[in-house]
Order: sequence, then C-alpha cells, then structure tokens
Amino acid sequence: MSTAVADRSGATAELQFATFYVGHMLLGVDIRVVQEINRQSEITQVPHAPDYVRGVINLRGDVATIVDLRAILGLPPSETSRQTRNLIVHHQGEAIGLLVDQISDILTLREDEISPPPTNVEGVDGRLMSGVCTLDSAIVVLLDIDEVLADSARQE
Amino acid sequence: MAIEDPELLAEFIAESRDHLSHVEGQLLEIEANGADIDVDLVNNVFRGIHSIKGAAGFLGLVTVNRLAHGLENILGLMRTRELTPTSAMVDVMLRAADALAHLVNNAEASNDANVDDHVMRLDAIFAGAEGGAVAVVTATCTAVAEEEQRELDLDSAVDFVEQAMFADAADEDNADDAPLPTVKAELEPEQMPIEAVAPPAPSIIDEPKSTASAAPTAQASAVVAETSIRVQVGVLDSLMNLAGELVLGRNQLIQALNTDAHVGIEAVASRLDQVTTELQEAIMRTRMQPIGAVFSKFPRVVRDLSAKLGKQCDVVMDGKEVDVDKTILEAIGDPLTHLVRNSIDHGVERPDVRVAAGKPAIGTIHLKAYHEAGKVRIDIADDGGGIYPEKLKKKAVEKGVITAEQAGRLTDREAVRLIFHPGFSTAEKITDVSGRGVGMDVVRTNIEKLGGTVDVDSNPGQGTTIQITLPLTLAIIPSLIIQSGEERFAIPQVNISELVRLRREEMAKRLDLVKSAEVLRLRGSLLPLVRLREVLGFGLPNAAATETDPQATTNIIVVESGQQRFGIVVDALHDSEEIVVKPLGRHIKNAPCLSGATILGDGHVALILDVAGIAAHEQIGSAHETAAEKSDETVHGDDESQSVLLFTNHPLDHFAVSMDVVARIERIRTDQIDSVGGQELVQYRDSSVPLLRLENVITARPAETQNWVYVIVFAIGGKEVGLIAPRLEDIRRVPTNVDTITFQQPGIQGSLIISQQTTRLVDLFRIAELAHAEWFADQPKPSVETGKKPLVLLAEDSTFFRKQVKSMVEERGYEVVDCEDGLIAWERLMVGDLDIDVVITDIEMPNLNGFELCQRIKQSKWSHLPVIALTSLAGASDMQRGIEVGIDDYQIKMDREKLLAALHNFTGSKAGSNRRHLQPA
Repeated sequence: MSTAVADRSGATAELQFATFYVGHMLLGVDIRVVQEINRQSEITQVPHAPDYVRGVINLRGDVATIVDLRAILGLPPSETSRQTRNLIVHHQGEAIGLLVDQISDILTLREDEISPPPTNVEGVDGRLMSGVCTLDSAIVVLLDIDEVLADSARQE
Repeated sequence: MAIEDPELLAEFIAESRDHLSHVEGQLLEIEANGADIDVDLVNNVFRGIHSIKGAAGFLGLVTVNRLAHGLENILGLMRTRELTPTSAMVDVMLRAADALAHLVNNAEASNDANVDDHVMRLDAIFAGAEGGAVAVVTATCTAVAEEEQRELDLDSAVDFVEQAMFADAADEDNADDAPLPTVKAELEPEQMPIEAVAPPAPSIIDEPKSTASAAPTAQASAVVAETSIRVQVGVLDSLMNLAGELVLGRNQLIQALNTDAHVGIEAVASRLDQVTTELQEAIMRTRMQPIGAVFSKFPRVVRDLSAKLGKQCDVVMDGKEVDVDKTILEAIGDPLTHLVRNSIDHGVERPDVRVAAGKPAIGTIHLKAYHEAGKVRIDIADDGGGIYPEKLKKKAVEKGVITAEQAGRLTDREAVRLIFHPGFSTAEKITDVSGRGVGMDVVRTNIEKLGGTVDVDSNPGQGTTIQITLPLTLAIIPSLIIQSGEERFAIPQVNISELVRLRREEMAKRLDLVKSAEVLRLRGSLLPLVRLREVLGFGLPNAAATETDPQATTNIIVVESGQQRFGIVVDALHDSEEIVVKPLGRHIKNAPCLSGATILGDGHVALILDVAGIAAHEQIGSAHETAAEKSDETVHGDDESQSVLLFTNHPLDHFAVSMDVVARIERIRTDQIDSVGGQELVQYRDSSVPLLRLENVITARPAETQNWVYVIVFAIGGKEVGLIAPRLEDIRRVPTNVDTITFQQPGIQGSLIISQQTTRLVDLFRIAELAHAEWFADQPKPSVETGKKPLVLLAEDSTFFRKQVKSMVEERGYEVVDCEDGLIAWERLMVGDLDIDVVITDIEMPNLNGFELCQRIKQSKWSHLPVIALTSLAGASDMQRGIEVGIDDYQIKMDREKLLAALHNFTGSKAGSNRRHLQPA
C-alpha cells in the first residue's frame, strides 16, 4: 500500500494526508494508513532492538512497536515534549507507532499538485518519499510508508 | 475456474478433509485385514469417497470427481468381496487418496491438475479385477515409464502388475502375503470433539509428481477452512453461562461502587476473580484437541519408511484422546515425525539382525501420550538396537564435541544425551531419511521453543525411549516478574529452577571468577552467572548506592534451558503472574533474549525473556557447566541434608520448616482472612483452610501487621491447614545436625544457625496438634489387644531424625528400639530376644545401608517383617532398588502423617499377616 500517486481515476483525483512535524520538517503520510493518534508516553524499552525502535506500548491490549522517525530520517535525536505524539499506522497487518514531534493538519491535495521527490530534502534520503508538495508557506514531504517501515536491510 | 459460491466451496473442503483424514488409517486397516475383509470398514471408506465424488460433481470439480470415482470403483469391488485387497493395491489407493487431499486443498485450481497416472493405475486395478489383465500390463507400464525418478513407485507398480496378472490364482490361497510391513494401531474412525481441520499430512517420501504443480496455491485456499474449529455444544453452553456470570458480576460491581462505602466490593471482586478463572479455563478447553490428530499420520509414515528401508515395523499408539492446545498440536507434528522416522532409521534393526539377536523380526514403535503433573508427556519407544554410550562418547570426542577427559566423566545416561548436541548425527552413514541436516538438536530446540523438554533413555540392544514433556498450552504461561534497570520482565516459570538471595556479606564467599566469568557457588558446584543489566545493555547500577546500603542483597534466578543451567542476576523480584503472551512486531521479533511481550496488571508492557536466547547471546555452553568442578565447600561433609523453607514471623524470629511436608505456599491478602469462632480461615477454591499463627502456639514474638502474608499449606489426614508465615526468606538445603537441646519446646524440633541467624525448626504437625488436639482425635492408634505395644525397630544414623521419628512414633503408642546404623540394627535383631513388628530404616547409613539391611532381613527367618524405608526425597532409582531388595513401603522422613498411617497399616491387625504391597509414595 504505497502512498504514491496511485489513483488512476484521473489527474484531478484528490488524496488526503495527515501531516506532522519532525524537527522543523513538515511531513505527511497517506491518511488511509493512519489508524489513530495518541500521546501515550509509557514506552517500554526493548533491549537489543534496532536503534530506530523506541520501544513498545500497550495499544488497548496489543503490543505495538514505536518507531522513532528521527532516527529513520537521519535527524538528530531530541527529547520528547508535551507535543510529542504516536501516529499509529496500520502496516502489513500490524499497528506501528511513528514518534512525531507535533501533529499538524489534514491536507487534501490533487495529484497534479504533487511532484516527484528530489534525491534528498535537507539531508533526508529521497527514497523514503513518495513525493513533495510545495505549499504557500512550506514544503510538505510525503513519506513512502513502505520504505520508512521496511525492516530489512536498513542502512544504519 | 470460478466457483460461484465460496461458502459452498469452503464447506466442501472442510467436509472432504474430514472424510479424507480418516481414509488413510482406514485403508491401512483394510490392508492389514487382507483377505479377511471387514465390509463395514470398506463401506465406511466407500461412503466417504462417494460423498466427495458427489459434491465435487455438483461443484464442477471434474478432476476431483474423476479421481474419487477411480477410488470408489475399487472400494466397490472390495466391499462385495470381488477383489481382495493387497498391499500393492493399497499403495496405489493411498497415493490416490494423498493426491485427492491435495486436490481438495487446492480445490480452485484442481481442474488444471494432472491425475492421469493415478486414475490409470486405479482403473488398472479395477480392470484387472474384471479380468482385463493383459491390457493392464501395457497401460501401467506406460504410466510407469512416465514416472522418472520414483524407484519405489516403479517397484510397487511392477509388483502390482504381477499380482494383477495372477489375481485369480492369488484369490484362492492368498499367496500375496509377501513380507509386508504390518501396521497395527487402534484406528477406529472416532469422532473427535474438536476436529483439526488442518490438511491431512502429505506423504513425506513419495509424493506423486502430478500433485506438486498444485502445491504453490496451497496456502491461499488452505486459509479458508483453517480459520474455524469445532467446539462441543457443552463447552459453548458453559461459556455462555460464564459470560452471564460475568455480566452479573459487572452489574454487582457497578452497584457496589454506587454505594457510599463500596459495600460488598470484596465479594464482587472475589466472584469476578472466580468467574474469570473459569472463563479462562473454558476458553482454553475450546482450543484443546486430541493428540490423535497428529498420531494418526504415523502408521503411514512407519509403513512407508520401513518398507523403503527393508525393515518391518509395527506401530502401537496409546493415549490418542489426550488433549493438547491447538498451537502445540500444530507445532509438535514435525519434531514427532522426525523422532518416529529416526526410530525406524536408526533404532529398529533389519529383520535378519533382529532375528539373530533373538528378537521378533518385526520391530515395534510405541507411541504413548498421557498427562503427568499438569503437563503432557509423549513417549516414543522402539525395541531396536539402542544406543551404545561408549560408541557415542568416542564419536563425540572425534567430532570435538567434548574432550576425552569430559567423556570419561560422563555417565551412560549423560552420554546418551549427547545425541541432542548440535552437529551430532548418530547415523553411521548418512541416509536420506535422517541425514538431511536436521539433527536431534533441532528437534530439541523446537520442543524447547514450545516450553517443553526432551530426554532420552536407552538400553543398548533393547531399544531407545525418547520422552517429550510439553505444557498444556502456550497462550498463558505462569511467569515470574522481575526488574532490571527501569523495566520489568517476565521469566517463564518453566525455566526457573530456584531463586537464590545473597546478602552482602555472603557475596564474597559465594561469588567467584573462573576465567573472568562470574560464577555462583551453589551446593558444591559452580554455576555460570550473567547480570541481566549487562545482557540487556542497561549499564551498571549506581555503584555508590549499593555500596552504602548494608541491606543490599543480590537476587539470582537459577534458570535451566536444555543442557544449560545458569544464574541470572536481577535487580528486584516482583510477583508471580500468569501472563498472556503477545507477539512482538516485526521490527523487534528477532531481538535476541526476548520471546514475546505481555501486558501487566497496571497496563504496562513487560517483555518476556528467552532463557535459551540469553544463554546463546552470552555464549553459555554446556561445556561451561562441565568445567564447573566440585568445590570443597559442600554442606557439612558427612551428614545428609534436608531442604527447608526459611521465614520470619516477627522480623527478629527466624524459623524453618522442612520442605518435604509443605504442600504449597500461597500468598494472600490479610483482609481475605475470616475469623469464625476464634478460628482464622481463608477461602481456597471451594474449601476453607484453617490458619495457624506461631505466636499462638509457641513462644514467639507476634507478627507485625501486613497487607499480604504467605501461608504455608500442609495436609493433615487429607485436610489442608495453613501456617501464616509473614515473610519468606529462602529455600535452602541445610545439614541435619540440628541442635535439639537449646530450644526444647513442643512444636520445635530444634535449632540451626543459618546465615548467622539462630533459626528454629518448626514441626508443622506438632504445631497443628498443639493448636487443635481434636483434629488428631480420630487418628488410628495401634490395637493393643494383648496389652503389648507394637514394637518398632528403627535404624537411622542422623541423631536428629532418629529422635524425631522415635518420639513421633512413641507418641502414637508404639514402642521403639532405635539403632545408629543398619549394622547395629541387624545385630540387635540377630540377638533374637525382641518380638519386632515392623522395621523402619533410613537408606543412607554407614556400615550397612538401608537396602543391605532390608536384603538381609528378607533373606533371613525374619523375612515376614515389613520394612518401611525413610528417604529425604523418594527418587525413582532408589525406589527401583528398594523394590528389588523387598522394601515394603517408602515414606518421606518428615511427613509424619503418612509415616504413621503406613505404620498403622503394617501393624493394624498385628504384624505379619496384613502386608500390603509397595506403593511408591
């Protein structure tokens, strides 16, 4: 389930993205993969886990992995704050939380507003993106959730 | 092809599997019956195949229909006795049934599958029986030619053609009973309460090629039927009832919460607790399936493999009705199959070898499942060549698995266990049967992953038995919650063998370094230690904090996994909990040292530690263990030791009780204790257990008020009694040289110095008697008809135990002659002036031990004397030895009730006449 421009019903098809900040970068993921957003801070550390894994939380009786987006995107780590949220996405049959610094809006875009990703945006590898969109005030980087959550062969 | 109605198709698949799951066993039985056709049985198979054929025709599954038709034709002839089943025919039919199962499992794609050769062979049998033998030969030969690599197929096809040609002649004298593997098993087509709808296992050796093409799609359609299981209506009803109870409980809870003082909330809580437990059990029951579902494939495995290897082998199966959890059932199939194949390949000898060794030509593999101590045991026994420990040791040394020196130290039993060592294949030559890179170590690992254990016992020349122990379920596991750093973890109880707590001052004495690895001195041996903080990468605790805290103790959990046994140092111990296992996400599921996660009562996630993973991660090998030499610091040299539970009543009053008499230990909230007429009680399950307090019976400082207390539960005459033990300290082996002088008081057996604390050893039965003499009022007393008390000869070298037993027995109205060892007792008896009624003897004694004493008695003119042996713990090998020398009964030393009951039995109507036979305690 890629967030890439996949809708074939016409160039004017609209896509919705949940947007959020990691550092000062504005990022978006396809809203269809987003299950919920919560602010649970009780994260259980997992020893020997890859360093982009923050830990696990109790998601109403299931154990969900929390992934640190900063580590995946190659951004410097930061402290959690009152704005920190878990963006729970449903991916490959499993609920996974993305740790984000702050939640922003839901963004509705037409396909023709999305441009293909450059090789990198502020040091973030273009392969993790499905596209970018330039708004009046900022650039929104749309994440390719399959790439972001790929568990094998991640270059550390 | 498109099936219009997916529901109909799913139903067809489920039903067909149901039929096919029995067909294999039934065909094998038909084969075993031979000319003596059981028409009802054949009818049964016929009907099954017939309904598959009918439904397939209806659904437009032409290939399934065609194949089923071919099978049906032959069965039709068999049930009218027009055709006598032969092994070759059954071969063809079994393969066709396998192919049919494949087709059914891939029903959607079945019409594209090629079953021509199956149909041709089936038709050939059919036609052959009708008399068209010559045409058959050509037809079958072509079919055979197409089959390139299947040697066995070819052989059996040729066999078959020959038999088909001479079918008429063969019918008369049943000449076709060539040496065939006979397969004996209870194969009644039983209706299982919950049916495994897993696909029937495909034959492992010879899978007809045509079905292979259908295999890739197997997964997709298999899912359709596997998502449902059958549940007995009775179980469903009880679930419904419990759900009703739960709703009721919730309503009561809400009501109670609405009152000001939360009236009756305890009652509601305990009710909810009970309902939840029952609900959990009922739900577990729905997951239970009989192990027969796995066993049923073995007759075929044994038949095919023994035929292939030129061996003859029967399989006998017991306990097919034993229920195990679905997840375990699914996971145990492969390891079991491997073990069964191994038994045939390496265990059972070829017929000529067997006959030469004086055994029947046909070997037997005995599969047995049964419940034991809340677990499932599966034994796989063969009567084959057995394992020669010396041979195995030699190989192990050659392969560098162990050193020659280590090999020298191994007992035979330990040597046989080497087969579970990684990279150790017992096969003299690698066969394609078991030499496929899958060794016994993989079997062991897989069984341990299920929380089970596997062991082996072998008698050279007589056979080998593999014993598997499995938990009843995987979904909920009793665990100990521990803490390391900031996080809590769960360790499955199955891995824990004991807990050791070291005080600061003991640490220097008990902890040591061997080649820079930390070890713990535990009862004379050295145990490798790991510190969980380091294993998990949490870093060292704040050293300053622990240095200054004089109370600081080190908690060590001694764990076992396979051949590894080691200690894990943790920061703190919490409660024992039954935890529900949750899987880890894919990013972390490969983390070493972890096997899953669980959610604790407070909603926090705790990770479950994988003991085997920690051992691997820390590279604790079993070699490590063998390197651990005996230390000289054994527990007081000469004397025996006993295991005691240490506790404090008041923090300054230390007590111990013998573990031998403790039934179990409970932890209860003090508000659960009721008081009725001055007697304290606690509800346990459906009965109430009276509670005793030490300070009410003996001189002791009263316990401080606590919210939680432990209760040491023991049994008196079948009734449970609890002693309140506010704080538990440890379980330890202590010497039996107890000081019986300093604290002479009823209820106290004596005192010991344990960890610089004077500790009083409590006699639980005496305490109970002091508190409630009436409980003992109806205890049997020896009959004193002639005015003479029954006379007991007691041999016991430990002064402490001798005094204990003597006073205990005398109190009950016996007279006792006590002797310091077996020889003294024997000499005393030899004097001949005593009219002894019964002998009580310790086993381990200097000069003449209990076995020798008993042997002498049984071979003398006093052979009528009953002999009761006292042990600190009854071991099976001891018991065996005891039976051999004629010991009449075994009793555990400190279990006064049982000993007195046994004594009463032997002297009840005066010695001699009423001897009961040995009942292992």
